Amino acid sequence: MTRFVRSWLGIAATTVTLAVGGGQAFAQKELVFGLQCDRTGPTANVGTVLCPGYHDYIALVNSKGGVEGYKIKVLEIDHEYKVPPAIEAHERFKKEGAVLEGLYGTPQTAALNKKLEEDKILGTSPGFGTASAADGKRYPYTFPIAASYWSQGGAAVAFAKEKLGDLKGKKIAYLFYDNPAGKEPLPILEDLAKAEGFELRTFAVPAPGLEMGAQILDITSRYKPDFIITHLFGRSPSVSIKELKGKGFPLSKVVAFVWGSAESDIIAAGGMGVAEGYNTMQFAGVGKDFQVLKDIEAMYKAQGKTPPKEMDSTVYYNRGVFIAALHVEAARNAIKAKAGAKPTSEDVKKGMESIKGLTLGGLLPPLELTAADHEGGGWVQIWTVKGGKLVKVKDWFQGNRPTIQKHLAADAAKS
Amino acid sequence: MSEDLEFAFALVLSGASIGLMYSLIALGFVLVYKATDAINFAQGEFVMLAGLIVVTALGFEAPLIAAVVVVVLAMIGFSFGLEKVVLRPLLGRPVVAVIMATIGVAAVLRGWGPLIFGIETRNLPLPIGDEPIAIGPASLPPIQVVGAAVALLFFVVFNWFFKKSRMGVAMRAVADNQQVAQAMGINVERYFALAWAMAGIVSALGGVVWGSMLGVDVQLALVGLKVFPVVILGGLDSIGGALVGGLIIGIVESLAAGYLDPYVGGGTKDFAPYVLMILVLMVRPYGIFGRRQIERV
Amino acid sequence: MFHRESGVFKTSYGADMALYPLPIAKWTVVILALIFVVIVPLTVHEYYLSILNLIFIAIVGALGLNILVGYTGQISIGHGAFMSVGAYTAANLAVKLGLPFWLTLPAGGLMAALIGVIVGMPSLRIKGLYLAIATLAGQLIIEWTINHVPAISGGAQASIEVGRPNLFGFTFNTQGRLYFFLLFFAVVAIVATLNLVRSRIGRAFVAVRDQDIAAEIIGINIYRYKLLAFAISSFYAGVCGVLYTYYFGIANYEQFQLIVSIDYLAMIIIGGLGSVLGTIFGAIFVTLLPIVIRIFMENVGSLFFTTAEMANVISGLRLGVFGGLIIFFLIVEPEGLNRLWRNIRSYFRVWPFSY
Repeated sequence: MTRFVRSWLGIAATTVTLAVGGGQAFAQKELVFGLQCDRTGPTANVGTVLCPGYHDYIALVNSKGGVEGYKIKVLEIDHEYKVPPAIEAHERFKKEGAVLEGLYGTPQTAALNKKLEEDKILGTSPGFGTASAADGKRYPYTFPIAASYWSQGGAAVAFAKEKLGDLKGKKIAYLFYDNPAGKEPLPILEDLAKAEGFELRTFAVPAPGLEMGAQILDITSRYKPDFIITHLFGRSPSVSIKELKGKGFPLSKVVAFVWGSAESDIIAAGGMGVAEGYNTMQFAGVGKDFQVLKDIEAMYKAQGKTPPKEMDSTVYYNRGVFIAALHVEAARNAIKAKAGAKPTSEDVKKGMESIKGLTLGGLLPPLELTAADHEGGGWVQIWTVKGGKLVKVKDWFQGNRPTIQKHLAADAAKS
Repeated sequence: MSEDLEFAFALVLSGASIGLMYSLIALGFVLVYKATDAINFAQGEFVMLAGLIVVTALGFEAPLIAAVVVVVLAMIGFSFGLEKVVLRPLLGRPVVAVIMATIGVAAVLRGWGPLIFGIETRNLPLPIGDEPIAIGPASLPPIQVVGAAVALLFFVVFNWFFKKSRMGVAMRAVADNQQVAQAMGINVERYFALAWAMAGIVSALGGVVWGSMLGVDVQLALVGLKVFPVVILGGLDSIGGALVGGLIIGIVESLAAGYLDPYVGGGTKDFAPYVLMILVLMVRPYGIFGRRQIERV
Repeated sequence: MFHRESGVFKTSYGADMALYPLPIAKWTVVILALIFVVIVPLTVHEYYLSILNLIFIAIVGALGLNILVGYTGQISIGHGAFMSVGAYTAANLAVKLGLPFWLTLPAGGLMAALIGVIVGMPSLRIKGLYLAIATLAGQLIIEWTINHVPAISGGAQASIEVGRPNLFGFTFNTQGRLYFFLLFFAVVAIVATLNLVRSRIGRAFVAVRDQDIAAEIIGINIYRYKLLAFAISSFYAGVCGVLYTYYFGIANYEQFQLIVSIDYLAMIIIGGLGSVLGTIFGAIFVTLLPIVIRIFMENVGSLFFTTAEMANVISGLRLGVFGGLIIFFLIVEPEGLNRLWRNIRSYFRVWPFSY
């Protein structure tokens, strides 16, 4: 018994020491960025690729001497898509003096909106979170920085219109994941249906969406739409591709929102060959044909390592680079504005709000962040599966922007 | 056939084939419960592990047959070991202990599985093409036909095994009353291990079929949640029950999505099986085919 | 606690079941109060306070679950959903009617208790696995209902923003202030549970757990007590959900999904079923485990792995260790951390003359 108790005491003591020793002092010329990830939870397929992209870009910046002389230290915390660890992560970032943080996940963003404002640390929520966070006056410290679900809805309808010519009298099916994020674009779609004169019917896929034979059957054999907009997460996009293909629906008449648009979704559905014609919506560039990615590869080769295989999954990897690039640019603007002095999180927020004309060779849209618009315009691209790879068919565009702005204004008036 | 009837037929057919694929996973659960009274909340993770092993083997350029053999052996070994290390010490402990232990196993598998076998989503191609197979006025993806066939095959094999073979009869004796079985000279421990090994085989093929349908990564484990309504409906310890339960759940889901969703704003698919399950629990808690001796209050 | 109990002789059962087993225990409580009310908030960094805050909320929820699982021997895999019931009740009352937290908090608890009784109904007929799965169904059905009834969920977003709790013009808006807010409720929950389990009701719960037929024979109405256990347990869960709501500033059902129910079960299993102290240990342990593993790996892991590898290793390791510990405790120490604590205590009680 004695030895037993002692060993337990030993373990407890080590744990406590380590816990206390956790926070170390950091060097003078260093900026801390926080990054929340989901590498093990329900959306692990995103986090395991996106987060390495983020780290690699930061490493690239650091290898070139950092931002205006400041090295960047990234603290990553995997919250497993749970909310309490996301809160803990935010507090940790705050303690370590992070000037900004990358959020991940809609419920986590919702739970942190208020804290970000109280603590005056900006958080980015690209492609998820509440659409109304685009309004910088209402949520001063939350930055969607990429097209929200509302903007994606507007863009999807615009793309359908381009494909079908005129939408009057046409039928569009909206196949969505049955959670708040999936339902978010509904008001936009309903509004556009009235304005454009098309018929809209919605089909819900309950989580986890591993099987949707009945919904697809309903769509293809009863509703028979002219176009399908899908908004699915996790494993369900690949199931939708497979099922639609199986029922003989032309995939060229389908457009997926940003989280159903990765190579991994198409691979899981049976490979690129299966999904010929599938249209995907992107908020960051796709493919490897960008100078910054070549620089990252060169950086790995210079260290005598092979570039990581996450780089092959370019959709999510490039999104990681996208987020990192905007974070770095915000910090750069902040440092410049302070003539080289160490920026506070408040300065970085101002830096973020003055981002303009950063394109990274086309990886980023021509977005412009201002104090009022934290979404940067809601730009997306459409990439289509053609001949075994994703090909760009529509360059950066904003779909039905006036409708979205109308909704943002109405939402702001409500609160 | 009128269009409405055709639609209904297609819904039932698609539901039935998916339902049989649910039974495939439920079978693993039932086999273990039948023989050892242990409840496996990690059934989905078993399937995920099997899928990961198959794609890893295929990644080493192994032919499909070899990969399947590897996964079957690996899963037998794994479930065998699991029974020895985790479940045997918990014999005779309350239900919640076994449930939590398997939940723990599930977490371990989700944590270590991707670390060992790779994290990225992979495709598991089977040489069956992807042209839909026409059945009457409707059609099914080939993978669902294969999945349904595998489930039916297992049903026939296990039915024969439990009814006719000596080992199967011994196993039923163990399930019925461990002490009496032991007194009759049956090595109870060996049959426990055998039950787990059989569950391993079922999970291995479940992993191949479901992995091919969904692609393989950690999220494959989510199929495990479908097990519960199926087994409750069919009866926890009945092989035939797993089959019928799967069929009913698959068809109910399909019909709910086809006919209920338009009226209530969607999402009834996940919900309908559980409502049905609660009703069954209230009326026939031992399920359609289950043994009537349920722990009652 | 490390009390030397020599010289104390108990002469009645009442004395043996008293809240303070020894006169000196009162002093321990005073010292603990001093530490948590004065010393900790003054000396500890806000980050650690925020962790403590999460632990306090977890303690409330886990105590409730332990009353049900540990003391009454029922099982629930639907506690996350009961939390969301409390959360949405409170959020709706706070936003639509502008009620203060000291009204919404009990209201959330009561509503959760009501729903808990309904979900617990099957326990009258079934137990064990069947009950587990019935409550699992309850979890999914409650989630679905919240998601599809805008009157509850406040619209398509299914989230309702709530202001910070406010008492006599004092707003609990920083981690330091929320610390007192949450500490208060955690202490109330602990004291209430300690008193509950030594009351007639608590003893009836234990009787139902240990042998329900015997319990019925000695005149305990087991139906009533089972439902009561569900009600009390869900009340705690509801309050826990309300606390989360005020802490996050938002009610959102995605914060209370199945995985939350499982985490809370893990807390009471690791801490010790049927023990208040164990519940507290379990809540601390499960909340701290990922943090400790991460900080450990950040410091030690960098020796073995590159940064890119490490993120994945940390994540996998955390899940693996979490699952491994559950299994370990179930097999090696079924009574959980509480038992370890008692072992340590009994070792020191006679130290240094252990024989």
